[in-house]
Amino acid sequence: MDVLCKILSIPATLLAKVPGIGPIVKVCCTSVGQKILMALTGLSLCGFLVAHLAGNLNLFAGEEAFNGYAEKLHSLGPLLAMAETGLFGMFVLHIGLAVSTTAMSRRARTNQYEEKNSKQQGFILPNGGASNLMLVTGLIIFAYLVLHIIDMKLNLRGFESGDNKFQLVRNVLRNPMNGVFYVVAILALGVHLTHGVTSACQTLGISHPRWNKLIRILGVLFAWKIAIGFISLVVWAYATI
Amino acid sequence: MSSESLNLTLRIWRQDGPNAKGGFRDYKLNGVSTHMSFLEMLDVLNEQLIEAGEESVAFDHDCREGICGACSLMIDGKAHGPDQATTTCQLHMRRFHDGDTITIEPWRASAFPVLRDLVVDRSAFDRIIQAGGYVSVNTGNAPDGNAIPVPGTVQETAMDAAACIGCGACVAACKNASAMLFVSAKVSQLAVLPQGKAERGERVLSMVAQMDEEGFGHCTNTSECEAACPAEISVDNIARLNREYVRASLVSGK
Ligand code: HEM
Ligand code: FES
Repeated sequence: MDVLCKILSIPATLLAKVPGIGPIVKVCCTSVGQKILMALTGLSLCGFLVAHLAGNLNLFAGEEAFNGYAEKLHSLGPLLAMAETGLFGMFVLHIGLAVSTTAMSRRARTNQYEEKNSKQQGFILPNGGASNLMLVTGLIIFAYLVLHIIDMKLNLRGFESGDNKFQLVRNVLRNPMNGVFYVVAILALGVHLTHGVTSACQTLGISHPRWNKLIRILGVLFAWKIAIGFISLVVWAYATI
Repeated sequence: MSSESLNLTLRIWRQDGPNAKGGFRDYKLNGVSTHMSFLEMLDVLNEQLIEAGEESVAFDHDCREGICGACSLMIDGKAHGPDQATTTCQLHMRRFHDGDTITIEPWRASAFPVLRDLVVDRSAFDRIIQAGGYVSVNTGNAPDGNAIPVPGTVQETAMDAAACIGCGACVAACKNASAMLFVSAKVSQLAVLPQGKAERGERVLSMVAQMDEEGFGHCTNTSECEAACPAEISVDNIARLNREYVRASLVSGK
């Protein structure tokens, strides 16, 4: 892990020497700077989720509407390619920073407590709430992402599609293994964002005693609206013939 | 046995020195008065150990009234024990029950190496303060009272942050051993006041750099530090540190 971090930090150390942007790159390498970048990439990915879900809800409008949407999206050509590259970059950054900050914190406590208990109360989720499940849920999302691209974008496993995105999506989701895994992964996403959205606000300094409760409520609502939205698509695949 | 007196089993971390291998030792302690503080209870244990010709248990303490930040201790997995807003020296034995086994450990963080038994080296905090937790601009003679107007709410914010006693419970309680609550309190208490504003950019950059240098972890915003803090420092200070940091990294002269 340490060696990996050293290698990963080489580009940053070089960039830090460039006049003008150097100081900014340098602060991006600190724990606080990395966390700010994580929050920015995380929130951008939330933006992607909204767009992706909005597009996919076209499935409910039927075969024609959805295929029309898919065609329009692909007719964007280079624009789409640029967006996809950007998206890929966001994921790489977000995950890279997750690994880097987690490694930093593992090193910060090498001798564990014999007994450790929380002084906070009222967690619904086990293990001290969503904030302690970020890496696990993140890794589940990542595994899901890989499978998602293999099936939905590249169709490497050869699902029946008749050259039609609508049929492909439905057939992929109707595979029971896929269906279960998709639901689990989306639940993981819901947990990730339950902490993620509020946390990102705090990381970016968006906090005020008067507004914090509201930010928390909106963050959790957002997380589960997204999650329920995506799960509804899986349900749809089984409910329609 | 009346509820005025407890028979306890203490599981205490013993370690001879910084590089020695430590381990837990069990001690029976009978007839502990519920009126004692936790540290007085350890005093009684140490008297017994000394009488028996054994090494006493080393632990940090000074004021014993919750203001110096010297006492520490992870008690049954909770920094400063089970009570909110309480230091170990203010914790009373009436919080425990007859027959309890109490696990007592030192703060655990790479930046806080164990010196002996329950005593850890917290000089990493001193070095973070040395990196920028002060005002160095020369202000000349003491100004007239109220010559620098500071609104009451701002004073309150600064005072709330200044309540930090630097005990390290935030680091001890954090799953990442992060020092963000401590550093954010020290940044905030100066950043909101006119006297501290002049150096706010340099200060936050230097203190965060030192915090990383000392090997503390990053902040996941779990708020466990806030719950463990005997001085009730709010995580709102961490948001302020983040704000100060963004601002400083974009526009500070460094
Ligand atoms: C659509 C996908 C994802 C979205 C929308 C997302 C969003 C977020 C957001 C908003 C945060 C909060 C940032 C902060 O606390 O300041 C966060 C944190 C985090 N994310 Fe993600 N994330 C996604 C995927 C992933 C993946 C694939 C990983 C893989 C490991 C991951 C790992 C983490 C970790 C470990 C944290 C917590 C950082 C910490 O300890 O403070 N995330 N994410
Ligand atoms: S001994 Fe001073 S705060 Fe506990």
